[in-house]
Amino acid sequence: MKRRTFLQFGAVGAAGTLTGVGGLLSWTPRARAATVSAVYYITDGYVAQPDGLNVYFKGYSGSSSSLAVPGAPLIAQEGDTLQITIVNTLNSDHSFVIDGMVDSGVIGAGQVQTVSFIAGSPGSYLFYDALNAPYNRLAGLHGGIAVMPAGSSNELYPGSPTFVQQSIWVMTEIDPAWNDRVRRGLTPDTAFTPRYFTINGRSMRVPGSADYGNPDIDSGYHPGTRLTGSIGDRTLVRILNAGMATHSVHFHANHVEWLARNGEIRPDIWKKDSLMLPNNRGSLDVIYPFEPPPDAHPAVTTGHYPMHLHDEMTQTAGGGLYQFGIATTIAFE
Amino acid sequence: MFSVLKFKPIQMMHTGGGGGNACYTYPDAPATPGLTTADVVFDRSAHMNGSITMDDGRTVSMWGFNTGGGGMGGGGGPFPSPAMRVTEGQIVHTRLTAGMMNGTHTIHHHGIEPSTENDGVGHYSFDVNGTYTYQWKASHAGTYFYHCHTNTVLHAEMGMYGALIIDPPEGPGTLYSGGPTYDVEAVWACDEIDSSWHALSWTAGTCGGDAGLNDLNPDYFVITGVDGAQSALTDPGVAVTMNTGQRLLVRYICAGYLPQRIDFGGLTATLYMSDGRPLPNPIQVQSLEASSAERYDCIFQPGSPGIYEVTVEYLDWVSGETLGTARTRITVQ
Repeated sequence: MKRRTFLQFGAVGAAGTLTGVGGLLSWTPRARAATVSAVYYITDGYVAQPDGLNVYFKGYSGSSSSLAVPGAPLIAQEGDTLQITIVNTLNSDHSFVIDGMVDSGVIGAGQVQTVSFIAGSPGSYLFYDALNAPYNRLAGLHGGIAVMPAGSSNELYPGSPTFVQQSIWVMTEIDPAWNDRVRRGLTPDTAFTPRYFTINGRSMRVPGSADYGNPDIDSGYHPGTRLTGSIGDRTLVRILNAGMATHSVHFHANHVEWLARNGEIRPDIWKKDSLMLPNNRGSLDVIYPFEPPPDAHPAVTTGHYPMHLHDEMTQTAGGGLYQFGIATTIAFE
Repeated sequence: MFSVLKFKPIQMMHTGGGGGNACYTYPDAPATPGLTTADVVFDRSAHMNGSITMDDGRTVSMWGFNTGGGGMGGGGGPFPSPAMRVTEGQIVHTRLTAGMMNGTHTIHHHGIEPSTENDGVGHYSFDVNGTYTYQWKASHAGTYFYHCHTNTVLHAEMGMYGALIIDPPEGPGTLYSGGPTYDVEAVWACDEIDSSWHALSWTAGTCGGDAGLNDLNPDYFVITGVDGAQSALTDPGVAVTMNTGQRLLVRYICAGYLPQRIDFGGLTATLYMSDGRPLPNPIQVQSLEASSAERYDCIFQPGSPGIYEVTVEYLDWVSGETLGTARTRITVQ
């Protein structure tokens, strides 16, 4: 594929289908199905971890000269035609897969492929590279897609409890030794021992640390990750696990309403403060209700609280640096 | 590469307990906002010189909370920490004394949802250096636990946790208002211990460097502080003896970091509650899977005498393989 064509594809990327780096997922429902187009460039590069180590990644990126891990989230509604163009800028084979919806097959080095498919049942899905499994996925080739019920702006599935805003959290673990083997075109040959833990490609920072408050780096401030609301701003959180480890997701200040696990609608809605997130592309869908924290005395309606994983190894970076892992801030404003 | 000099430590203090420098801790002991008279007060002080003797004869050092505000630095203390038990509707004060020789600590009442200042998460408020009164209201009956939230990955693993039970206004014997009653009660806080972590300083890893806190390799498996290899089979604080026709409530707390599978040895439980909230429809279970910090409240009513061996498997977070097993018994007379 020639460079000129790359640029043409870049220009074709339809506005509004990728949510970009800023803000929660936004969505305006339509009465009719439409065609939703997007372009991802498979690129590679390095991302500095909280302890300063530069780790190699591959990603579904927004341009041939950038690196995005995870890929920008997609949102569509049931019945839409999704037209996803993958530009593989690397010298290795890759693919684009959404379980139950699409499998591009091999997209060879330097090749471009457009896959067209119908958005299936409403819910939350991971898109990922299924080749060289699970190594390519773990090296960063993954992202989230939300499929809304047709014509709905506020439900996970038709008739579900409603929400007023929504977000996708893609979580993963990083073993830099594995990523480095992928960089060299080799198969990892050591036991998976993750040393970094990210949510939407970022780790937490805390007051006093160099990147605290930097929305590009600090998962507590990244606008696509941080939950911000006032009382009543019920927030759907689509939690996707691109990694290999089973986790426990713990919310402070409110119990969540647990709607689905691995895409299966729960028969009853339980209120939980800690939930098991299954590994290897597992998922949870929950609503954080933004109710007044029930045990505050005197009562409060504002405050800052964490969401963090409770398998606390995930709260570290490089074997230490507690608090620099998979966490974000829930801001009651 | 990482250099500690890049970061300005929030706190540098030399401590007892083998301590060194601490970074990203926020020592303080402010006045409690809106302090009122409490219905019940718990005094707790951090200790870092407890121990547990395992069935193989080995002694592993443990940390925790003592009752009372004094005794810092001496005397050791229990594992797990003393339970707190309150009644729904009560205003509670948890008065924590920490700092000086034993490092800074907090108490997070897991599942309790108070104001930010009273949530016990260091980087959103402060790590207690002195005495702080956590004020909160017990709004929902159920099973909770409390734990230290300073360098949590290490401090909770070291045993700094205890059970927290909120009874409904009816008092012990009823799980929640309008819910099931019980005659016999057991609290099973199931935890795994990686003894190689148990010689670390309370500050381990906080300033960076590889303290190994990303990689938990447990070698002991306990139920409510008792080795599950043998002792928990008969320990009167863990094993249950009951009469036919009685109703047993098991408050199961997944107090470790790894996923667990608890099997009730052929008995069927009715699961009424999780994480301090009643299920809309109770379900029958013979076993449960749980992730870190989940709680499940199970009622048993065995119809005939027998000895039922309960097993708790502690699962590798990646492979799912069983890393260890703890056992106890329900003896029905």
